[in-house]
Amino acid sequence: MILRDSTSLFSRVFTMSQLFRLLLQYTLLMLFGSGAYAGIANTKHNLSVTGTGNIKASTEQEICIFCHTPHNAKPQSPLWNRASSGSVYTPYNSTTIFSSPGQPTGASMLCLSCHDGTIALGSVLSRSSDIVMNNNVTTMPQGNTLIGTDLSDDHPVSFDYTSGLASQRGELVNPDTLTGAVKIDKTGQMQCTSCHDPHNDSNGKFLVIKNTASALCQTCHIKDFWKETAHSTSSKTWNGSAPDPWPNSNVNNVAGNACDNCHKPHNAGSQQRILNHSVEEDNCIPCHNGNVANFNIAIEFNKFSNHPITDSSNVHDAGESAVVNSRHVECVDCHNPHAANGSNPLNGVRGIDQSGSEVTNITRTEQLCYRCHGDSTGKPAARTTRQIEQTNVRMEFDTANPSYHPIAGVGKNPNVPSLIPPLTTGSTITCLDCHNNDSGPGAGGSGPNGPHGSNYEPLLERQYLTQDPTSESPSAYALCYKCHDRNSILSNQSFSRHSLHIQGKGMGGGGMYRLSTPCNVCHDPHGVSASQGNSINNSKLINFDTSVVSPSSSGRLYFESTGTFSGKCYLSCHGKNHNPKSYPGGMGGGGGGGM
Amino acid sequence: MMKPITTNSYKKARQLNLSVLICLAVALFLSSHTAFSGSIKGSAHDLASKGFDAGENCIICHTPHNSDISVTVSPLWNHQPASTTYDMYYTRDDSLVSQPTGESKLCLSCHDGVTAIDKFGGRTTASFMSGNADPNTKNKQSDSHPLSILFNSASAARNPSLYDPAVTTITIGSGGTSTRTGTIAELLLPNGRVQCNSCHDVHNNFVGNSAKDQPFLKITKARSEICLACHNK
Repeated sequence: MILRDSTSLFSRVFTMSQLFRLLLQYTLLMLFGSGAYAGIANTKHNLSVTGTGNIKASTEQEICIFCHTPHNAKPQSPLWNRASSGSVYTPYNSTTIFSSPGQPTGASMLCLSCHDGTIALGSVLSRSSDIVMNNNVTTMPQGNTLIGTDLSDDHPVSFDYTSGLASQRGELVNPDTLTGAVKIDKTGQMQCTSCHDPHNDSNGKFLVIKNTASALCQTCHIKDFWKETAHSTSSKTWNGSAPDPWPNSNVNNVAGNACDNCHKPHNAGSQQRILNHSVEEDNCIPCHNGNVANFNIAIEFNKFSNHPITDSSNVHDAGESAVVNSRHVECVDCHNPHAANGSNPLNGVRGIDQSGSEVTNITRTEQLCYRCHGDSTGKPAARTTRQIEQTNVRMEFDTANPSYHPIAGVGKNPNVPSLIPPLTTGSTITCLDCHNNDSGPGAGGSGPNGPHGSNYEPLLERQYLTQDPTSESPSAYALCYKCHDRNSILSNQSFSRHSLHIQGKGMGGGGMYRLSTPCNVCHDPHGVSASQGNSINNSKLINFDTSVVSPSSSGRLYFESTGTFSGKCYLSCHGKNHNPKSYPGGMGGGGGGGM
Repeated sequence: MMKPITTNSYKKARQLNLSVLICLAVALFLSSHTAFSGSIKGSAHDLASKGFDAGENCIICHTPHNSDISVTVSPLWNHQPASTTYDMYYTRDDSLVSQPTGESKLCLSCHDGVTAIDKFGGRTTASFMSGNADPNTKNKQSDSHPLSILFNSASAARNPSLYDPAVTTITIGSGGTSTRTGTIAELLLPNGRVQCNSCHDVHNNFVGNSAKDQPFLKITKARSEICLACHNK
């Protein structure tokens, strides 16, 4: 019997030195807390008959013997009493790895002599026959603690954690600064024992420090922007509707789960980057389906036009180039879960700038879109067949172009009378001003912001009909009328024939014209690349839809600017030949009459 | 139980009349033996069945006269002390433990498997320890708990998973013939060092009489109390 209760000594008469000893002992007890004194006997690592877990011996009373022996140990330190399994392990690997975890070594091998499930728990060197375990248990039973020999879905171990690795990898602390409970081993390797203390379970899961809000993870992993992201700050809780967003955790709020919101250090759903789930979006949706986060993003992807996150799995690769060539989209293609927050969901994401160079953290929205909608190979053909074909939106928005919507810079046309204040010709807009949720705030709805899905294709915030003919209405071209005042357009404040073309209310040729031409037939909404067009023929986003507009009787098909609010058209449309047709000018004037 | 004789007291004792010393030593030996009388008889250290000792249990290790004093703490030693150089244990910080000293050398004079068990009293036969009772494979000490190492308050301060031996109170003996209460240092650490007799008492039966299950342990193996007496795990 080991006497640890100092109070029982009070029956004795104490000398001053004895009192001092007791005081010191009491102080130590207070310092280390009851947890330290509770000891291994009260943990699941007490595999003897007195153990606290379900896995324990039938009659064996010794605790230490399952791992240690005072004599004939192998390996000698730490007086190990178990055989090595001799298994060949599959180490962790990923496309973004900088370390080189090979076969497990050192302390990790010792842990695996139980946790790989290949050696009977009761098999110890100091006994000629296995210690008999309760419930016919031999090797580690199925469950969270069975690591197996496939370590590819576990946090890597047994790799050299050097200062060089830290600087090369980034977002990792220099191991020289690890002076606390989290340690690398004497050979400089990260091991199971860097995170776990097999003798002390006072922090839960035998962790060396409490992992509250992933404090343990963040001892080594210092993620850029982490303090800014809602994933580290949000106190949101789960509303209880299935599925459980935190199946591996007892904490019911986002900030408390921190890394655990998405990652699982052992037996992860994914192998690379040890995520909870192997299907990429499954890591996001359990919170972003209305059960935890403010908005239900998940249902947005059910809309007619959407960024198809569910179309591909295991195509996205965190190590992929900034210009995405195997085109796909996952949540993490647009969002950095270590950085995103409600006011800046695109915080800390990379992109391609207007010159085509990679940027680590975008400064403008279009830089993100250019990753897939710019220089990528494998893009689909343009939706509208035009005189000038271009599917690279980076080139369409270049400020050297003769005309473009002012995404990358202020527009070229100084005279746009239809602009609704506060917009002016000096304004710039973003891709999201047109491409956004049709039920989001931009459309006057209460849904989430952002181009996740819309009932208006191509993922437009408002309706934009392109079929010829289309009966004009405020809703038919709601997208254009968001910024361009409908009354201004229809009262011909810029192009004197706007109402004629759009509403078909012109008179001439012996009667009323029934024209209902969509904006899209004459205007190319993104812009016309300087490499293909010029300021005479392609100002004002003119780039005709060749499925509607064909060459004139002289074989010409182009617009020619002749100044502010004036120009000529060479084309044939709806059976009308403009060869050319000039504006401004009298209604029905010019050769051929009518339009 | 033998009272340890410190270096200083031993040197002083050597200056006394030899017969006085022997009388004193034998008296000490007998008095301690009396307290736990009979416990070596029939124990694993009763080697009568081997025929080495012609029924004199003590003679394999002890003699009242002309004892070997090559080991400082020799208690009227009659057995050839171990002289082997051992492979020693490396501690966690990779420092090599020094060669065994003190009481451990006496134990190893049988248990190292190199020195003959029956090498005593001028005999020249050669029976060697083997099997379970041999904690070592020949001159290997590296796979056993480190021996002859200092264990004091400073050690505990360096390694928080060790109790401070100077202040931590323990009780040895449970289910055996006697119990004693004192600090770890008092009860387990001869001259402040971890020796074989920190865990094992060669003569006495503190926790039961089964050499196989409780090999002369001072504290029971049940619940690993012998380990957890010093190791705060």
